[in-house]
Amino acid sequence: MPNTTVSAGPGVTYDENYEPKLDWMESRGEWGMTAKPGKHGLTLEDIQMDSYGDAPESSSIRSGRQRGSAARDWSYRSGAYYVSSKQDVWLKNAGGLYEEALQRQWSSATDIPWDKLEPLPDDLERAACQFTTFLSDIEFVAADIPGRWVSTISPDYLETRMFLMTQMMDEARHLDVFRKRALSNGGGLMRSSDDTMGGGVVSIDMARDFSEMSARVHVIGESPVLTIFRTGELLAKNEAEKRMYRLAAQDESRHVAFGIMHMRYIGQTEPERREEMQTYLDEGEEYLFSASAVGAGTDRASTESMAVLLGGGKDKVDEGWRLLMAINRRQMREWVQRVKSAGFEDRFTSGRAHPEVLKLLRN
Amino acid sequence: MPTQNESPEPQETGGVRKHQRILQEVVEEEEESTPELSLDWMGDNLEWGVKVEPGRKGLTLGSLNVGIYGDIPEYHEGRTRSLRGAHPGVERAFIANITLRHKRELWADNAADLYEEAIQKRWVPATDIPWDTIEPLPDDVERAMCQLCTELCQQANVEYETVAGWLQQMSYAYHEVKVFLASEVFDAARHFDVFRKRALSNGGGLGLESRAEVDRVILQSNNDWTSTSLFLHLFRGSFTQTLYRYGELFAHNPAEKAMFARCLQDKARHLTYSLAHIKYSFSEQPRKERVFHRVLDIAETQMVRDLKDPVLPESLGVILGNGVEGVRTGMRKVGNLLGDFVRTYLQNARYVGLDRSERLAEGLAVYRDM
Repeated sequence: MPNTTVSAGPGVTYDENYEPKLDWMESRGEWGMTAKPGKHGLTLEDIQMDSYGDAPESSSIRSGRQRGSAARDWSYRSGAYYVSSKQDVWLKNAGGLYEEALQRQWSSATDIPWDKLEPLPDDLERAACQFTTFLSDIEFVAADIPGRWVSTISPDYLETRMFLMTQMMDEARHLDVFRKRALSNGGGLMRSSDDTMGGGVVSIDMARDFSEMSARVHVIGESPVLTIFRTGELLAKNEAEKRMYRLAAQDESRHVAFGIMHMRYIGQTEPERREEMQTYLDEGEEYLFSASAVGAGTDRASTESMAVLLGGGKDKVDEGWRLLMAINRRQMREWVQRVKSAGFEDRFTSGRAHPEVLKLLRN
Repeated sequence: MPTQNESPEPQETGGVRKHQRILQEVVEEEEESTPELSLDWMGDNLEWGVKVEPGRKGLTLGSLNVGIYGDIPEYHEGRTRSLRGAHPGVERAFIANITLRHKRELWADNAADLYEEAIQKRWVPATDIPWDTIEPLPDDVERAMCQLCTELCQQANVEYETVAGWLQQMSYAYHEVKVFLASEVFDAARHFDVFRKRALSNGGGLGLESRAEVDRVILQSNNDWTSTSLFLHLFRGSFTQTLYRYGELFAHNPAEKAMFARCLQDKARHLTYSLAHIKYSFSEQPRKERVFHRVLDIAETQMVRDLKDPVLPESLGVILGNGVEGVRTGMRKVGNLLGDFVRTYLQNARYVGLDRSERLAEGLAVYRDM
């Protein structure tokens, strides 16, 4: 078959006869950097020095050039970076969250004591499998969506991008660990999530702005899941499950922290966007705390499976429901705490928050 | 970790205490009336009684592929995020931009094992590289090392931007591939991280941005994932792997040696997935031979253009020659490096069923016997 591509010509031959010009040696970024490892090793924070640490308010990078490196006279505009404003993506200490994520990686294959699983009565096994099917089903959405944003954010905001990539890894592990649980104790996968629109307002997928995406994924989506993971002691029937929830909670708390801190940054640096953020929170509360959303959001099968697990069997769902309501209240309390931490506490004093949240606060 | 004082989320500790607190809340709360629960989901299962046991490597993802859970469909109709083997439940809206729904478009039998390996072989640039072993280098060598690190950062950047962008389009029926590629994105982030740290830790800084001819076609290869994998893994990956090999061989200190050795291990995984996938994809659609060859024609042409830019080859020449004085010797070794790359690339292409021996671009053929 003929080679039909336009040839680049003979090219340059690099061997001992080649005459180097070495003029690139003078084209470089700021020089004399001597970052030293600290108590936590050599972290991203340690290399945020001088011009290398300055994330510009507005990024002009169109190629894949890295922050602080020298630009060529011309370069291809191959980067599709339409997120080019610091305010759109920034938060304090994303680099720290990235480093923490690296330190706290874990293996679902070997860090969960799978040999501690024990046969459960059929109703409990079905409930455990339904609930882990739900979790396995929803978790990777928080990898797909941040993944979409990685290539659209300017490389000038590398710390944000780096964190999002750790989140993709975390969510892969969550899909994995909950699938493993469903298939390792005599059960199987159960019913797919019946949240027909994919969660939240319209869908968690559809946000066209990074901050809206972060509000939906990190704050509205992951906040209640984090509370569930933290109450995994109640759902778990053995050490393997307890550890699974604890480790997943550790990851999830980083993701929520990212969203809260980004929201806080926007609130502080772009007061004109506060109302927009409040609207996302309105939508989130409407979704999370409406009468039909208890425990596992609006997914009825998973909510019921939680009641069975919490009560200890299908004939004890009354007790399970009481515990589920307690978890639901805890989800609200932690939500309030996080929203306050993001700097939007005025929604609770002004009466703007969802009536169920306000009722909880009054009590 | 430095983040803990600032993070709005506390550490995960004291599970039993939390348990007790929640029980206490229940006691304190008014009696809740239980709504009518249907429990109709209890029968919604396609295969029951699965009990996969952990093996020598723990409970691995691949070991779960038993019964219907291991039936990898040739084509997956659904464009939702439903899991393979789960009961479909109610009809859901097509919310996701899932376009890769044929097995041949992304599958590799080794993806699940490679995913587990990625997790087992995880490492941390901050703490697994002995940064305290770095010692000042002659200025010319430091400049060259920093230029190489700048290039490798940019290559990693292209890798994660590309793979992260594709992930959302891949069907959940092939979750093994999705989670493996998430681990590749994570690896590439770490590669970016470690080379940036190296450039900024020994009296130097970043150098000049890449010429980016190959980068450009990788980023623009959005027709199908297999073509992207040809560009990104089989072609560029073979080159990056060679750079890592030489980096390890000519490292100036244990920190650099560790850095290149770790990256090399990761890169081998990415290539292993890609070779298995492309080979499989090609075996399923031999009529695509012309397309795949054309992709590699383009990749080679762009590489020749990249190589016309002397920045990377000369910086390698200074490193391999141990300074500007030895740069002629160094350039001979650069020729050897490029020869190793070309031979590795041709071998990889042959493995997947693409014989490039008669088609290799002139500007690369010159290195074949070096």
